[in-house]
Amino acid sequence: MGNKVLTICPYCGSGCHMNLLVEDGKVVGAEPANGRTNEGNLCLKGHYGWDFLNDPQILTSRLRKPMIRKEGVLREVSWEEAIQFTAQKLTAIKEKYGPDAIMGTGSARGPGNEANYVMQKFMRAVIGTNNIDHCARVCHGPSVAGLTYSLGDGAMSNSIPEIEDTDLLFIFGYNAAVTHPIVARRIVKAKQKGATIIVSDPRKTESARIADTWLPLKGGTNMALVNAFGHVLIEEELYDKDYVSNYVEGFADYKENVKKYTPEYAESITGVKAGDIRKVMRQYATSNKAMILYGMGVCQFAQAVDVVKGLASLALLTGNFGRPSVGIGPVRGQNNVQGSCDMGALPNVYPGYQSVTDSKIRKKFEKAWGVALPDKIGYRLTEIPHLVLKEDKVKAYYIFGEDPVQSDPNAAEVRETLEKMEFVIVQDIFMNKTALHADVILPATSWGEHEGVYSSADRGFQRIRKAVDPPGDVKPDWQIISEIATAMGYPMSYRNTEEIWDEMRALCPSFEGASYKKMEEQGGVQWPCPTEDHPGTPYLYEGNRFSTANGKGRLFACEWRAPLEQPDEEYPLTLSTVREVGHYSVRTMTGNCRALSQLSDEPGNIQISPVDASSLGLEDGQLVRIISRRGRVMARAQVSDRVKKGATYMTYHFWIGACNELTGDALDPVSKTPEYKYCAIRLEKIPDQLRAEQQVREQYESIRKQMKAGAGQA
Amino acid sequence: MMKERPNSFVIAEVGKCIGCKACELACFAVHNRDNGVAAAAGTVTMPVIPRLQVIRTDSFTMPVQCRHCENAPCAGVCPVQAIRQKDGVITIDEERCIGCKACAMICPFGAISLDKVYSSGEEHKQPTLRERQKDGLERKTRVIAYKCDLCKDITYTGNEASGEIGPAGAATGGNGRGLTEGGGGLVPACVSVCPEQALKLVDPGLGVSRSRTAAGLNSLRSLEI
Repeated sequence: MGNKVLTICPYCGSGCHMNLLVEDGKVVGAEPANGRTNEGNLCLKGHYGWDFLNDPQILTSRLRKPMIRKEGVLREVSWEEAIQFTAQKLTAIKEKYGPDAIMGTGSARGPGNEANYVMQKFMRAVIGTNNIDHCARVCHGPSVAGLTYSLGDGAMSNSIPEIEDTDLLFIFGYNAAVTHPIVARRIVKAKQKGATIIVSDPRKTESARIADTWLPLKGGTNMALVNAFGHVLIEEELYDKDYVSNYVEGFADYKENVKKYTPEYAESITGVKAGDIRKVMRQYATSNKAMILYGMGVCQFAQAVDVVKGLASLALLTGNFGRPSVGIGPVRGQNNVQGSCDMGALPNVYPGYQSVTDSKIRKKFEKAWGVALPDKIGYRLTEIPHLVLKEDKVKAYYIFGEDPVQSDPNAAEVRETLEKMEFVIVQDIFMNKTALHADVILPATSWGEHEGVYSSADRGFQRIRKAVDPPGDVKPDWQIISEIATAMGYPMSYRNTEEIWDEMRALCPSFEGASYKKMEEQGGVQWPCPTEDHPGTPYLYEGNRFSTANGKGRLFACEWRAPLEQPDEEYPLTLSTVREVGHYSVRTMTGNCRALSQLSDEPGNIQISPVDASSLGLEDGQLVRIISRRGRVMARAQVSDRVKKGATYMTYHFWIGACNELTGDALDPVSKTPEYKYCAIRLEKIPDQLRAEQQVREQYESIRKQMKAGAGQA
Repeated sequence: MMKERPNSFVIAEVGKCIGCKACELACFAVHNRDNGVAAAAGTVTMPVIPRLQVIRTDSFTMPVQCRHCENAPCAGVCPVQAIRQKDGVITIDEERCIGCKACAMICPFGAISLDKVYSSGEEHKQPTLRERQKDGLERKTRVIAYKCDLCKDITYTGNEASGEIGPAGAATGGNGRGLTEGGGGLVPACVSVCPEQALKLVDPGLGVSRSRTAAGLNSLRSLEI
């Protein structure tokens, strides 16, 4: 008979509890369990997303042995050889160019918090640099920066279960139906319980469909709209004067900065009717409990941090903090992107969001880790191409559980960057596009094969558990990193993940009470959890005391800036990158799940309005060529009533229709997050569809061959 | 004598559906255990053929599936009597179906679709009819009409214990067919898997129900007639 192993779903930040069904050492099924956020529900990825563990080799293949590139070819080697080689190369590069010539990543996906803690400790204590970052940079990086400025914590101030009990839900650039179906469930429930729903999105998302008011703004005009909201709150004296004078600072400057953004002026920029702007702010300000949820439609612009601060300002002006079912929620995308931020896989903070430039904090970590630590903030992930290609500053890259060639903008530039570097380490579970450029491949255990903790989007630490033994000769991530550290002369040895966790929480005041035992007993612990007898914190800022230096919330507004690359005669359409519900991230996991990959497969789609489709003579389902200044790909046209004329959307999961061959590398000046949501493209009709279909099949086969899929199938 | 009941059917609430297609996958998985979807390893070679389709227009999103009409027009036009009423379900006899499309054309809901037949994960070739392919004449794949059977007409010959692509409950589903626990009783796979609880199995009684009458009166009141 089989057994059930309780764990957390590895897809998205909803943090759903689930049971893996195990028979004869293999996972054979999944069923929902009763978690805090999911209450016995799973979406299709939770139900059907486990069978990549059995390595069906649909898109790629599992990495089973360490590999070193010899005479240009990746060859299998022993762990001993791989660890020694990696340690020697890193040591040599550190000696020749200095520690800042080495960059490392955390991983927001399967590895878990303990592996991220060990990775950032390795970069800081062993290499001697703060050059550690991860995919939060291309995602909710602006939330971490913006909310830390405004409120003091870069996380959801509220909890997922609180969503359904709010009176007004303001959803900005966030498509919960495809990003977090289990959070979407709370939005649907809120609507049914009578909440007013307001959605600001250029596309008619599922939330927009059920909204009381949908504000279909023009892409790239967020700041103008958010400023106009602030303008209405002040002009109509809708803001909470007592709250602002007691708990908030920066009002005079804020008032001055939003002055020019009358709803009429904003309408001229955003296309949203001035009357609607006034109406929704009156509703927002007069609701007893109002909550903001936002997502990538805010963060993936070159003006992102400003908009995050602007949205937080609306909640501050109306006193929507310190109670249940209010506040602001940046709903984190990947399963453990909150966790990799919590663990300090960021260039400016240690674990627990403690600044690397604060000498008192640095001394604490120096004492704990027994080495001198660097005081300079490290490089951000998205600066690496420039630092390598233009400034020649970074020579080695330790890529842990990420696939930047697929996930980062301007893929051609990323490939050129990796090729120019002296040493590239890829530590992963699947062969991927980045691994093609690796000098060393270190194969790791997957979710389902190791223990650890994930942080859900609403600051909830929850235990993941081992269900099956891994295939081949692979090791847990934290163990691989520890062995390299030891080989470099900094002995690291942990018996298990709990030992790592306990070392971490002893250094982080806000996580200190979140023991494995408490997670077992409660099902999870939401931080802050400062002491052993503290149950955790569902919502932040009780008593309206913020985590900023003086305890006050900070208002912010500034001028709107247009996106960098505007459509023109040659590239007349705009492209925004989005997600689809049945796939996850770079698709190495869901692309290797049998049912999910059959439901939606290569080359992926481009959503286009009926008007643009007919003017180009395109039919739904036809293959079409998409061209930007940086690259060209093929995808299937998906003609949709819900898309506005002039705009197109592609999901970033597909390898043939790889939208990041097209996207630009414009960055937000503060968070350095790329402008995935806006670049200029043109579409070309393909007259010979049969030939194009054949090309897609050939391209898929060639990718599978490169990824060694189908070679040694289990 | 037991009072005869109208057929049940599954319907979605438009206000709750988010278009995630979990229902489509659950339907596919539970109906294709013999096509390799039941095994934990190996590749699913057939495309996803769900018996309900998530439809998305400008103003609504919901899956569309068979209403199991009491006077099923599809049965009326089937020239080979493949569509029948059986145990409270309108079913298509897949062996008997000739793929004439009459049922698909007459169905007012668009709940019937034509697709290829698979057995053991391979396309099921016909014994006689051939078509010209690149490499000469080949036996044509059998194509039939598919629609919702309320998970009551599922055959599965394989070993239940080998596991399957969920919903997990269906792997060991008490009745050995496709019904799973959920919503206070045994329900079709699509209903039990829906994370939004947007789908429900409607089990109508004969005549007019009290709640229906009350709802009718209420709507009249709101029209101020």
